[in-house]
Amino acid sequence: MDEIRRHRTAECDRFELELEAYMEGEVRPFVLAHLRECVFCKVVSEDLLALRTAAGELPLEEPSPAVWANVRARLSAEGAFAEKEGVWNWLWQLDLLRRPVPVAAFACMLALGCWMTAPRNYPQLEASASLAALEGQPAAVRSMSFVSGGTGLEQVVRELEEAFKAREGSLAPDVKATYENSLSSLDVSIRECNDSLQREPGNSLAHEYLFAAYSQKAEVLSSALEFDEGR
Amino acid sequence: MADRHQQKTIKTTAFPYGVGIFLCSVALPGLLVAAEGNRVEKTFEAAPNPRVTISNARGQILVRGWDRQQVHIVCSVVSPRVEVDSEVIPPGGPADKVHFSTHILDPLVSGKDQTADYSLDVPMGTDLEIRDTQGSVKIEKLQGDDATVETVAGAIVVSDFTGHLFVRSIGGNIEVIRAAGRVEAYSITGDLHFVSPATSKLRATTTSGRILFEGDFPDGGDYSLSEYSGDMDIICPPSASFELNAKTDRGKLENAMPITIRHQPATPLSSANSLFGTHLTGKATVSLKSFSGTIRIRQR
Repeated sequence: MDEIRRHRTAECDRFELELEAYMEGEVRPFVLAHLRECVFCKVVSEDLLALRTAAGELPLEEPSPAVWANVRARLSAEGAFAEKEGVWNWLWQLDLLRRPVPVAAFACMLALGCWMTAPRNYPQLEASASLAALEGQPAAVRSMSFVSGGTGLEQVVRELEEAFKAREGSLAPDVKATYENSLSSLDVSIRECNDSLQREPGNSLAHEYLFAAYSQKAEVLSSALEFDEGR
Repeated sequence: MADRHQQKTIKTTAFPYGVGIFLCSVALPGLLVAAEGNRVEKTFEAAPNPRVTISNARGQILVRGWDRQQVHIVCSVVSPRVEVDSEVIPPGGPADKVHFSTHILDPLVSGKDQTADYSLDVPMGTDLEIRDTQGSVKIEKLQGDDATVETVAGAIVVSDFTGHLFVRSIGGNIEVIRAAGRVEAYSITGDLHFVSPATSKLRATTTSGRILFEGDFPDGGDYSLSEYSGDMDIICPPSASFELNAKTDRGKLENAMPITIRHQPATPLSSANSLFGTHLTGKATVSLKSFSGTIRIRQR
């Protein structure tokens, strides 16, 4: 029988390099072309596929307990299970319980210091801080940030107003007049409240009415848009 | 033979018409009114506490309580292109819910041609929900749990209602007479008028309208009246016992009641006029607010 000698070529080298990727599912045209030309590489490919198929059909087996014990021992030797020294451990090492008097004195001094330095008037401090932070902003913005509600309401009203102006022509004249009168009345209140807040930034009544006016304006505009959509 | 053929022709021709007439009269109960100047009267058997809802564009709505377990409606339209539908739930047996709605069939119908007037008699325990855009609403003598009435420009008058009343109008006036349940009334440019309220909780707000309150403040009641630029008049009997918190920013405060002034909270940054005090034993709480309008408190 004549022996067939394999002559390894550069294409076979390239085939070996790309074979793994091909078997992982990647598109490799060179691998497919070489399989058609090279018998030996084709046999190698078929053997590897057979091995993969057979390995997938093998039953799963749990390693023996000795395996896990050896793994744990190795990890412990490398320090994987060492306890971290926390604050409480450090304090415990100070033996504080053996020195109650100085510890108690220190605790009392700490508590006294906290009490003496704690701020007294929380609402005013918060209000002053919030107003200071809003310095330079329009009164309406400051007002609504102050009473909570934020500039989001002003933005909502602006958007609703634009939508209303785009559709007000489709409203019946008497309906449109009613909405316009009410919006005009609310705009007057917004303007006057802003004027008051310019002179007296802390005027809580003006803040309250300003926020209410914006809320009512949003409701009126929403009502007008719903009415228009429902026709 | 010819007679037989003629009979068959009559039957063939008449039968579809008969079916059509049958369908129109029986299978379309939701259609109440659809003809010019038509007035329709209809009665539905109802549960003791049904919920009645009405959605109307223009016209008067009158709802009265009566002692029958029926919803009786009389409605009329001006234009043949305006239709009033009804929906009864459940379809058979006493109704738990009855819904009436006006539909404008032709977009070209406008103004007074859209008018549909309703007059309803409903069981005393009926809950109501009414939306009448450009029309007025009147409710009399009901004892339901709640009633909601909303209009854009129409006036709202509610008398002798015992449940939770929520009324809102953009530009219409609101009048509430002898209400016994919780009352919430809101308007932007309309006036608010309260007469002899027996409620323990009342909240009313108007922006440029006027507020007139005539009556006593029941013990334990909580009343909050607020307007922006209109005037507020409170007329109560000498026996009214209430704690007063009244303030206005730019307006005036005129008080003719003997009020025992109590300590006022410091408002160094505000130039508001305010009055905090007690009349008699202060059993009710009354909060009056105005931005630029005048608040007047006087005895009846």
